[in-house]
Amino acid sequence: MSYNFTIFSPTDTPLFTHEFGTSRSGGDGIPRFTTAERSLNPFILHSSLDIVEEVQWGPSTTSGNAPMYLKHIDKYQNSYISCWITAANVRFLLLTRPRDEALGLGSGGAGSQRGSLAGGRAGLGGGNVYSPTNPATEEAVKNFFVDVYEAWVKTVMNPFFDVGKGDVVRSPVFRTRVAAAAKKYL
Amino acid sequence: MTPLQDASTKPPKYPAELEASMILPKQRASPASSLASLPYRRSNPSLQKLFQSTASISGSRASSGTATPTASVVPGSVFSPGARQNGTGTPNSLPPGVSDEYRSLIQRAFVPHVAVVADTETEDLIRGKGLEGGLLQLLRPFGEHVPGKVTIRDSVGAGRSWEDFGVRFVGANDGLGIPPAPAKSSGLRISTDSQRGGGRVSSSSIRPRRVGGDVAQIEDLVGRHLQYSEFNAHDPMPDYFDQMEAPAQADATSSPFYALFLKRLLSGIPLVPHETFAHPVASVIAVSSSNADAIEELRRLYARQTQGDLRMPQWVDNQYLRYYVLVHDEEKDDIAKSNAIFDQMKRHFGLHCHLLRLKRQQCIPSDDDAVRLPTCEWMSASEELAEIQRRETADDITDPAPYLPDSDITGIRTFIRELVAQSIIPHMERQTAQWNEQVLARRRGVAGRFMSISKRWTPFGGSRSSSSSSTSSNSNYDSLQGFYRPDAPEALMRKLADYSFMLRDYKLALSTYDILRSDFTNDKAWLHAAGALEMASLSALMTSGPLPTKARTENVDQWIEQAWYSYTNRQGTPTPYYGLRTLATSVELLRLRGSSAADDAARWAARILDTGLVGPVGNALFTERVSACYAVRMGIGSMNWGSRRRKAALWSVLAASTWFQLSKSLQAEKCLDAALRLYSSHQISNLQEHDAARSLPFPQMQTFIDELRQQIINLRLEHRGGYSSEDDGEGTEVEQSIVEEATETLDASPRLHRKSLIGAAAPPVDMGPLSPTLERTEQEPDDLFEGA
Repeated sequence: MSYNFTIFSPTDTPLFTHEFGTSRSGGDGIPRFTTAERSLNPFILHSSLDIVEEVQWGPSTTSGNAPMYLKHIDKYQNSYISCWITAANVRFLLLTRPRDEALGLGSGGAGSQRGSLAGGRAGLGGGNVYSPTNPATEEAVKNFFVDVYEAWVKTVMNPFFDVGKGDVVRSPVFRTRVAAAAKKYL
Repeated sequence: MTPLQDASTKPPKYPAELEASMILPKQRASPASSLASLPYRRSNPSLQKLFQSTASISGSRASSGTATPTASVVPGSVFSPGARQNGTGTPNSLPPGVSDEYRSLIQRAFVPHVAVVADTETEDLIRGKGLEGGLLQLLRPFGEHVPGKVTIRDSVGAGRSWEDFGVRFVGANDGLGIPPAPAKSSGLRISTDSQRGGGRVSSSSIRPRRVGGDVAQIEDLVGRHLQYSEFNAHDPMPDYFDQMEAPAQADATSSPFYALFLKRLLSGIPLVPHETFAHPVASVIAVSSSNADAIEELRRLYARQTQGDLRMPQWVDNQYLRYYVLVHDEEKDDIAKSNAIFDQMKRHFGLHCHLLRLKRQQCIPSDDDAVRLPTCEWMSASEELAEIQRRETADDITDPAPYLPDSDITGIRTFIRELVAQSIIPHMERQTAQWNEQVLARRRGVAGRFMSISKRWTPFGGSRSSSSSSTSSNSNYDSLQGFYRPDAPEALMRKLADYSFMLRDYKLALSTYDILRSDFTNDKAWLHAAGALEMASLSALMTSGPLPTKARTENVDQWIEQAWYSYTNRQGTPTPYYGLRTLATSVELLRLRGSSAADDAARWAARILDTGLVGPVGNALFTERVSACYAVRMGIGSMNWGSRRRKAALWSVLAASTWFQLSKSLQAEKCLDAALRLYSSHQISNLQEHDAARSLPFPQMQTFIDELRQQIINLRLEHRGGYSSEDDGEGTEVEQSIVEEATETLDASPRLHRKSLIGAAAPPVDMGPLSPTLERTEQEPDDLFEGA
């Protein structure tokens, strides 16, 4: 599985992007997006902000408190988007691209004939299919977000860093922390 | 009405009896080969007129919509996925900027069909006037739009007037000439085959048929239109220039090619057992006054329709209305004699008679009162393809459209008005009322419910009513041959529902389809069930009243889903054409309802893409459509919360990329511009100043778009390369921005001059400051490109 983790400021400016692969089940932590997918990922992430806003302002599914973790919110072709939203309206988006086998697709897939961008057809059933709403998956993503959030809070406490201005996170420490969280949970 | 009426100045596109050797254009293997084989016929005005349809459709669109800008649709909780009490908007209260065009298109697609039969003398008379297709060709374009208002009473007796009512005249053997089964299988399977790259089946070499339902041919046709626009757009042709400029500002989400696609998808509805739209509601039987015994001839034609060679298949109800017409030859025959025959006819056949007076001589365009035969709007894709092919290969540059004297046209219009308003509609109203009383009410009543239950549950049902059909015992459904007998209550109810749908009484239609769908499902008549489900969802969406979100998500969505599933998966021979029709029409109607319904529309459009119901061209068109569906959803407040701008932009980029892969630079460019507009309008203004040039949030996005833009520009230049030898100064567009500024002020309407430049016939008027830069439309993209 390949992941793209992106932090969006409240004004939709991407502040931080990190791509990584799974480290679970023998994964080496290297993302395996194809070129087409990689160029499309920013578009997908950006477009799911529409859904984030809708979920964010919509009625709460949990009783009372509004959760920061919005879980799986959107999907485009084979990419699944999960979201965590901070108190300052900074959005953490995690794009998950499961391997083709995990989607019940053969190698090659229907996508190749459709052209690079339009992607393949959505996974339609099958045995061991990746499901974004699987409790284990949700929990793993949540743990990842919690760790990143902790690191994020420490970063934004820096008085010279202003999210509102769209300051991009350059701190190598933050990046290491994100990578560590990714390695630990995803 | 406006949108398509201006098309009436076009020449007719009848594929009059084409030779068998006429081969329809094959699917091209690659853009390169098609490029090579495309005849460049800029000098052929008749051909240009054919392609004008895609231009004229879009040209009028801007004016047709936005009748009632009611912004009040949007507030409420637009962005509340859980509650979803939005999307209840009615089609009558459209969000601003959304045109009602597709709704009226769907409304005008399902109209009564009228079979036309004429004796040989009449056919000879009309052929002498230069119409190879005979009476049918003469009547067909006029039937598409009945002049004046037509008042229809619905089931509760309330009358309503419609301006855009029409009928379709069909030949007695259209859709039948080829037995429906092979036609369906060869026609419908192609779409899936070509989807898998299996290529075209032999159907491309058959004669053009007036029956539609072939997705591959529709794609082919739209592809031709696209190609024409691609290679002729830089020509100083007024139509395409108007088209490219005007709608870009008015309604960025509309595409004339999509409108064409949808229209051809709904033209030429095939004659099938599971729906009765193509079954004739009436038949025009015409004899000539020069016939020795006109009455006897009428009887003979009638007999041929009831028993003879013109008999419809057995699943078509044969008790349709007969309308007798006496064609009087103004020049050869004596009017007194014709009147006498006509009186006799009236005595014999009652009220449904008409005396049509036509002139025999052939009319030429230079005659005083010559009027060109209007173009047929609702011809099938295969007909239009054949016509394009014919004109491309024809050498003469004259317009082959037949001309008619004014008096003939007036006569025909009067005839059609009388036929529709005084015979067909009252007949349908009567039938509807009768079936409503006798069949539907009985089925709905206590006894009917009990009957339908007992039919299902009684253990003896099988043996008791085995007489009805040999195999499936207690139902009226003949599962071996796959139809209901036309006098079975189910078939009558289906007719009732279809009639009321055609008469635009959607409430009655909905309730009838609703009963039918459960009956058909119980009988395991899947195709019939799918048809009923499709039409149920369609009539629910067509109703002008508000549709509660709950009803929409719970019923209509279910129906669409089931209809689609039954059409494509459930039977032995899948019918993807109908599946596509279900989804495409639902997408449009849902989109018109705005807000959360538009989300659903986008979902269904994406379903079309996912399941591969369409080929490459359709794929691009529907990708564009998804974007349009998202774009109608508007947000509230200064932040536009709840809008789908970003989604729409994503799909626009995708569409641009898809178009580029089909090497359609103009469409790609249009989509890309739309995407950039969506992105930039969304951007909140507090981007840094140094970022002004870069409007996209991600640098990667910007790179991607810049690259795509560059590729598209290259492609366009490549396409124009073919011309740069003749029209010099065209290949250097990219670096012309300096000249541009100088020429822009020169004249306000450069198109006037352009118009005068083309066309061999145009008189040489003052050409004005002719400069290649005037022919450029895409200034904005180039500026952007250079700024990037």
